[in-house]
Amino acid sequence: MSRYRIARRRTPPFLAAALLAGSSLCAGSAPADDDVRIGAVLPVTGKESKIGGAFKVATEYAVKEANETGGLVVAGKRMKIDLRLLDDTSDAAKSAQLVEQLIAQQKVAAVLGGYGSQLVQAQSVVPERYGIPFVAGGAGASAIYGRSKWVFGTLSPVENLAETQMDFLADLVKAARLKPPLKIALVWENTEHGKDFQKGVRDFVKAHPKEFSIPLDESFELYAADFKPLLTRVAAAKADLFMCDAHLEDYISMHRTYTQMGLYHQMVTYGARGADEAGRKGLGAATDYIFASGWWSDLLPYPQVKSFVEKFKAATGVAPQWYHACAYETARALFAAIRAAGSLKPEAIRDALAKLELKDSILPGGVLRYSKTGQAILPFVVTQNKPAGKLDIVWPKDAKTGDAVAPIPR
Amino acid sequence: MSNLATVLVNTLLAAGLYATMAYGLAVIYGVMRIINLAHAGILMLGAYVTLTLFERFQIDPFLGLAAVGPLFFVFGVGLFRAFGRRLRRSGGGPSMESLLLLFGVWLILQNLAYYVWSGDTQSILTGYTLKSVPVLGVRVGVPSLLVFGASAASLLVLTLLLSKTYLGKAIRAVTQNRDAALLVGVDADRISAVAFGLGTAFAGVAGGMLATLFAFTPDFGRSFLLKAFCIIVLGGMESVAGVAVGALVLAFIENGLAVWTTVPTSFQDAVTFTLLFVALVAFPQGLPGLLARFARRPVAR
Amino acid sequence: MRRLAAAPGVAAATFLLAAPLLLERGTLNDLWSLALGVVLASAWNLLGGFAGQVSLGYSAFLGIGAYTTALLSLRGVNPFLTLPLGALLAALFSVAIGLPAFRLRGPYFTIATIGVGEAVRVAAASVAFTGGSSGLRMPAGSFDFTLNYYAMAALAILAVLLAAAVRASAFGTALAAIRQDIDAAEALGVNSTRFKLLAHALSAAVVSLAGSLYAINFQYIAPGSVFDFRLSLSIVLAPIVGGVGTVAGPVLGALVFSTLQIKLLAVPALRDAYLLLYGGLLVLVMLYEPTGLVGLARRLLGARRPAVPAREAPGAG
Repeated sequence: MSRYRIARRRTPPFLAAALLAGSSLCAGSAPADDDVRIGAVLPVTGKESKIGGAFKVATEYAVKEANETGGLVVAGKRMKIDLRLLDDTSDAAKSAQLVEQLIAQQKVAAVLGGYGSQLVQAQSVVPERYGIPFVAGGAGASAIYGRSKWVFGTLSPVENLAETQMDFLADLVKAARLKPPLKIALVWENTEHGKDFQKGVRDFVKAHPKEFSIPLDESFELYAADFKPLLTRVAAAKADLFMCDAHLEDYISMHRTYTQMGLYHQMVTYGARGADEAGRKGLGAATDYIFASGWWSDLLPYPQVKSFVEKFKAATGVAPQWYHACAYETARALFAAIRAAGSLKPEAIRDALAKLELKDSILPGGVLRYSKTGQAILPFVVTQNKPAGKLDIVWPKDAKTGDAVAPIPR
Repeated sequence: MSNLATVLVNTLLAAGLYATMAYGLAVIYGVMRIINLAHAGILMLGAYVTLTLFERFQIDPFLGLAAVGPLFFVFGVGLFRAFGRRLRRSGGGPSMESLLLLFGVWLILQNLAYYVWSGDTQSILTGYTLKSVPVLGVRVGVPSLLVFGASAASLLVLTLLLSKTYLGKAIRAVTQNRDAALLVGVDADRISAVAFGLGTAFAGVAGGMLATLFAFTPDFGRSFLLKAFCIIVLGGMESVAGVAVGALVLAFIENGLAVWTTVPTSFQDAVTFTLLFVALVAFPQGLPGLLARFARRPVAR
Repeated sequence: MRRLAAAPGVAAATFLLAAPLLLERGTLNDLWSLALGVVLASAWNLLGGFAGQVSLGYSAFLGIGAYTTALLSLRGVNPFLTLPLGALLAALFSVAIGLPAFRLRGPYFTIATIGVGEAVRVAAASVAFTGGSSGLRMPAGSFDFTLNYYAMAALAILAVLLAAAVRASAFGTALAAIRQDIDAAEALGVNSTRFKLLAHALSAAVVSLAGSLYAINFQYIAPGSVFDFRLSLSIVLAPIVGGVGTVAGPVLGALVFSTLQIKLLAVPALRDAYLLLYGGLLVLVMLYEPTGLVGLARRLLGARRPAVPAREAPGAG
């Protein structure tokens, strides 16, 4: 160990400033009379920054839109929404603390939750303590909901996402497009999201043993450095279907290896991944025929979806993805509940959220309501990538924009 | 396709990749006894610079490396000049200040990348990214093959550089015995700057190559850093050939476990990190040192 | 010098304990975080500062405490009664790691601790009894913030007192000898491994206690939060910026980082720059003032000092 030597140099003023900053801890303030203060804690930087950043854009857009169309009328008074948005840097402990800070110091009337199951898990214990309504647009893990009457979530459970995919596959079996019995190679990222996905597939297979079986069930750590060992096992399993749940980075890196190894399965999915533009950019034609299920698609044949897509694009310059839509719709649901409550009392807002029926919803099914546990249970859409960058909704049948291609042509 | 061929081919390819990302770390450690915690940041930066060359100027990522190398050499020398006071080797032991200083540099680089390139997931897709060729009956991705080739070439170039040129001899002299090197008139400071630049250049080039295989964000590189540590520890910390050996061992363990055992692949990283610990404690001279001990002759470096 | 520094210390402790009577809940939350930061920084400093063994694997101990508490609470044990067991387990683990790892010196030791921390995280995310990557939620109804606040405030005060006691003791002198020149210390008959193990166990136990209180206060833990590598890194930042090897340094460092986190991150322009800020602070400290804020304060106050490295100067606080 070397010694620390003294550097007799001029000290940068920065250190002195930091010292000064360290000596002051001051308190927060109450909102102005004609403001409805809404809090939001999002992972704008760090691991989840990609979608966290999109949540920020969509949430800010929803607030702007609501304020431009007259704000919220509460107890006969027109009020503007004052959004207090904080960045938890994708750190769970910080996330919970910031929610607490918003409620305790900034006196927000309600909180919009973040993105990512683990972050929202951490956040979701706070609202109960203060009795403040909390709506998350970015967490589908069902473990979060049903524990506190103050916690609501717009994303349907990830198990249901997997189940929808299985329904879709079972329908292809029924239509004699796929020949049972089918062996599934099941691969999932070792996160809450991945575990729920695995559970959804397993539960379905257990109920349909004649059609499906799972000879391979493996998980992997996020951002793995080499997917070959895992995919070598997948190859050895000689399965008919490949079902994986992965983050965007891992999806791209893994499917590159998959393609290079020349693996083939009759149907391939990466869970919610597949239709992403970044995926297309990184994988090109290798994404063809991958099917994905998601909480939203801009192809949904509803007029409100079309108008949302146009307005959102015009205002932000971004073509909305599912996460934009869910963040936007979550904020809108909260605003609708506050309007319906006609009051800023937490109890009233909470009750209005529990009773809410957002009729012109852009989400699948067209109506957003929260179930008894606080989590919305909406249908999922299944999309399939087609050659030349085309994308079709192939499930459910009433929202279909094209037929499924199954099995994938070799 | 036999299991053995699969394991061997995949091991070789993964080892090429792993060695590539660890050379820079070993060169810097060898000369300066500095553990470059900014290594992950430089890998990440190398990936982004390669991406920018590819997207802005349509330069093939592997050709782009010819520009990335010199660029990062200059960057590394600049870093050394800026922070040299703390990076300079004082006495015999590795210095803690440098470790922490470079950790600070890593954080700064990460933040800069967020500013410049945003947190979006990026990737490089070329005409050959998804192509593959058969090797011993195993299908092998073209980028992986190129990375392997570049890695082997790096090994060759570094070995030649270190053994044939004056600069290399000076670097090795400083590596082996700094005080003696000073006595015979080697400008240790200049050599250190060059070595730091060289290490940074290799890290940048490695980052560029990783960019052809993986999707990346400014957080990229963190999961590679510990693997790289594990490799240079296995390889005895400072020899370039040792790095290649360490990379081979790690890659063989990972691929062997997947094919011949039923250990869940999610344990792959736990195995790496445990191996890192065990290797450090049990044979701090690395595998070459261990072999040398068995051969009952002094460790040759 | 020591007596001089005692007065602000007593004042700070009194303020910390009286705060619930004076301040509103939100500010208390910040103080809770500050107290947590003080505990972690002071505890890390026992080994990292006094003995000069820089470990980047301290999240393992925080995680052990947090998981012990969560797992036992879910089986009906009062959360606060689980603290001693967590501390004991963390201390035992620290010895199990330390026995082999303390054969390594300087950065080698540091790398080994990174490996241990990451291996523990991956293991916790992969086995079933920890709830895997989903983490664990504390049983409902086990939350009382005032109690949590006093527990953490008391732990912070104890941690600082412990640091002061260690520094003043023969044990502390031995650690300082190890830091300055381990070979010389050994030659003088200091059993360096034993002292390092003791310092490691002591600091691991304190960090584990903080981990238990962390679980009690946050109510939800997961490998990604309590075993995170970034947590290990941030534990190291505060004592280094404040001044390693002193008693006051870690406290000052924790104060700076808590404030940065709470206040500056709420400013949009700085929010996206927190890594830059942390990294910049670290680089500046290492370049200009390796003895941290304590060294800076001494210099500004014009303390006359003989030509020994400041970290070894007596009476830091």
